[in-house]
Amino acid sequence: MSELWKRHRNWLAPLLFIAPGALLFGTIIIASSFESVWISFFDWDGVGPKTWAGLANYRELFADPQFYVSLKNNVIWLVMFMAAPPLGLALALLVNQQVAGMRFLKSLFFIPLVLATVTVGVVFGWVYDPNYGLLALIFNLFGATAPALLADEHAVTFAVVVAALWPQIAFCMVLFLAGLNNLSPDIIGAGRVDGARGWNMLWHVVLPQLRQVGFIALAVTVVGALRSFDMIAVMTSGGPFGSSEVLAYQMYEQSIFSYRFGYGAAIATVLFAIMIVFITWYLRMMVRLEKETR
Amino acid sequence: MFPRPLPEEKPLQRGLYVGFVALILILWLLPLFAVMLTASKTADEIMAGQYWTWPKHFNLIENFQAVFAQTNMWGYFINSLIITLPSVLLVLVFSTLTGYVLARYNFKGNALVFALFVGGNFLPAQIMMIPVRDLMVSVGLYDTYLALIIFHVAFQTGFATLFMRNFIAALPDELFQAARAEGASPWQTLRHVVIPLMRPALAALAILTFTFVWNDYFWAIVLTQSDAVKPVTAGLNNLRGEWTSAWNIVAAATLFVAVPPVTMFFLMQKHFIAGLTMGAVKG
Amino acid sequence: MTLKTELSLIDAIKASRRQFLIGTGAALAGTALSRPAIAAGGEVTIISDLGNADQRAVLERLAGEFTKKTGTKVTINNMDHEAHKTAIRSYLVVGAPDICFWFSGNRMKAFVDRGLFDDISDLFQKEGYSEKLGVTKGAVTVGGKQYGLPLGGILWGLFYRKDVFDDKGWTAPKTWDDFMKLGAAAKSAGMIPVSMGTKETWPTGGWFDHMNLRINGLEKHMALMEGKISYTDPMLKPVFDKWEELIKADFFSPNGPSFGWEQAGAALAQKKAAMMDLGSFIKYAFPAADQAQLAFAPFPEIVPGVERYEDFSVNSVHIPAKAKNKQGARDFFAYMYQPENLGAFLEAEGTIPPRNDCPPSKDPMVNAAVESLKTVKGTSQYYDRDTDPDMAQDGMKGFQEFMLKPDRRDQILARLEKTRARIFK
Repeated sequence: MSELWKRHRNWLAPLLFIAPGALLFGTIIIASSFESVWISFFDWDGVGPKTWAGLANYRELFADPQFYVSLKNNVIWLVMFMAAPPLGLALALLVNQQVAGMRFLKSLFFIPLVLATVTVGVVFGWVYDPNYGLLALIFNLFGATAPALLADEHAVTFAVVVAALWPQIAFCMVLFLAGLNNLSPDIIGAGRVDGARGWNMLWHVVLPQLRQVGFIALAVTVVGALRSFDMIAVMTSGGPFGSSEVLAYQMYEQSIFSYRFGYGAAIATVLFAIMIVFITWYLRMMVRLEKETR
Repeated sequence: MFPRPLPEEKPLQRGLYVGFVALILILWLLPLFAVMLTASKTADEIMAGQYWTWPKHFNLIENFQAVFAQTNMWGYFINSLIITLPSVLLVLVFSTLTGYVLARYNFKGNALVFALFVGGNFLPAQIMMIPVRDLMVSVGLYDTYLALIIFHVAFQTGFATLFMRNFIAALPDELFQAARAEGASPWQTLRHVVIPLMRPALAALAILTFTFVWNDYFWAIVLTQSDAVKPVTAGLNNLRGEWTSAWNIVAAATLFVAVPPVTMFFLMQKHFIAGLTMGAVKG
Repeated sequence: MTLKTELSLIDAIKASRRQFLIGTGAALAGTALSRPAIAAGGEVTIISDLGNADQRAVLERLAGEFTKKTGTKVTINNMDHEAHKTAIRSYLVVGAPDICFWFSGNRMKAFVDRGLFDDISDLFQKEGYSEKLGVTKGAVTVGGKQYGLPLGGILWGLFYRKDVFDDKGWTAPKTWDDFMKLGAAAKSAGMIPVSMGTKETWPTGGWFDHMNLRINGLEKHMALMEGKISYTDPMLKPVFDKWEELIKADFFSPNGPSFGWEQAGAALAQKKAAMMDLGSFIKYAFPAADQAQLAFAPFPEIVPGVERYEDFSVNSVHIPAKAKNKQGARDFFAYMYQPENLGAFLEAEGTIPPRNDCPPSKDPMVNAAVESLKTVKGTSQYYDRDTDPDMAQDGMKGFQEFMLKPDRRDQILARLEKTRARIFK
């Protein structure tokens, strides 16, 4: 028995290692996702019987002007969210020093990620409130009238994304903090011997070693940009008249408020298709870069 | 700023640096101050739109009292611990295993399995709502702690696998060659080479997983209905009304709910410096 | 005895027999699982969505008293209002409590049609509720059977500050002309005629209801709600014409979508606005000292001769069809619905009791609404309660857009018509 194990452990062990995580993830997350793709071919209110609808949900979706508004907003989210990894990195570099009191300060930088979204959303809503908001107070100081950002169909998405960036930057900061602490001190030491300092050191010695963690930050930022809907729900409910909706919110609205699970699933499927394009590109680039560095 | 170390012999420079960081922190946390300001006010002030003024009547204590009087916050708090702690532990175990295999074994289909883990992580939660609920009902776990634990472990394992895989992939190859040369089994390699080096990463992952599971409300609504098993976010949301929400009380509850993840971050930080001081490569 | 009552009697007997069988089944199951002896009185679980802490306290008190009297344990699980709307679709199907809170009218009917709520006509008969309930009985009745108990009602209409109106010499508008004149007077006094926050879109739905009820009457309004009339029907033209007139005359708060009703209510409290269309819960937007100044006036008449119909929304409690202890739930209902208990429960939120024998309220706003209701010919509930939720979602979004961009009217109505045609096939 132990002889058998020894001979085969090089492939049996990894199989055993990966089994629990893969089985759990596969049966619950992956299987449910396929089920929801299946649901997208039905007309279903989530309670009663399902009726086969074929591609009708998709046809309706592609003819729905709201779909294109949401899609456009998703692009705005994606582009603006790209600020989170560099800003998170900057914060991580800033606090990554061993000084008395820094541990405490570091923990405080993390706070945005833990505050309940509903409260953060409400508070940011009070920043933008045209009558009593912080922005209004500042504008009033200069004798001007503040723009009502959340009532303006063109400005509203930008205003919401700013609020959503706050926790996202904290998220990236934690990732980079972990990455910075995983650096090999030998390489940094070697860099120092070679006379690399300050910016040079950062650019040529530190950043290349943060590549793997940078990939994680990129992934979670894209996920965050595409999946988030709760900030929108709290701040604007998708309004005015749907102009701040993104696909994830539209899906949430359709399945939770309008009880159209089939249609919601169709939106999710389209959203997922978009993500697959990103994932494919992402994994290929990651694997290629890994090969280069090895 | 990192990577330049602050010289130990210059306390003034160190002091100035901390002062600078504190200044940035204050700017960074302005919205938090707004939450704290709100938690110190009376409902009347907020209703009147006085969001950005100093509280006229300092009401923080009363608001916290209201949080605990209006909803069974401690009960929910315990539930949250019961749900979150095992979830975090299991996620760390599973994702270390999967991440190790995906990072270090070049088998056929590796990329596909990895893509599934990453891809599944991109799915919006609402869309899994009904299949997951039906699954939990069919195995008789609906409305139990276990339903939430199992779901959170499964879902977070996706992100955690990406996280661990990339951190393990960043380890130098020589480490593993050396281990193999010494005849270490896969388990020994994982146990004695990978895990010690992964302490900062595991600490960060623990913090993040803890935060995500702790802050979940959506799945608590979908998979449970009894107050006996609902997490602390349910207590927070219980304070919201049909027509009005007393935001001063909700803000106080928000601060209370945020304490454990921040404490967790504070405690986990001691592992953050581990990688540096250990002299990573023991090869 | 008419045929109809006979039939419902037979139904009631049938139902109670079914009840008995289920009860026996539950009892057997109970012994089989060897439950502890303490639970001999059984257990009733409740899922509530009460956001009002005072009201929760009253419910808990009633539950405690009930347990003391009957030995039946009562467990109350509370959720927040919005989350509950999601959760109920889950738990009614997979694991129901014995009692749940919901809304009467169309939203109740949606679950009745799918067989998810228990018929409690037997309880109505036994306790004689039919004689005690006024119009609200209809709100819990589908096909002649009752599926829930109506709780507090909210009468919607215009609210204003007495002191402001006295000060300026204004009176509550009775006709459309009065209303237009009052608006002009408010504007020249530097006030917003009608305060409205549309961040949550529902206030627009209420405004539409009022105008449509005053112009087209209840029957046509309900036909529209039930999807029997097109959104491009000419009957709606005067509604939107009049509404556009108001929008163009700057009757409503600028930048409505930036804030919710609370901020809109604060504007009324701070004398920045003259009127607001809401329910009695508007008092929460007022400082305690100013609440006495609040006054209610019905929405003004628009087309002379159209009877007075109002939005009167009624929340309710129900027994899910899959409840385990349906008899226990009925017993608890009977206890909770005793006039003084129900009165105390509703007093905590300031809503209008459905029973005519509840003790009179101490809240002048409630009494004013009760008085006002006496001259109402018929009631709808509210836009998002009367029509399909999917339709309501699109409809109120459309109204919100209309209030910002009245020029897009045709486009918006065409879109709503498309939604209507899809939903009400």
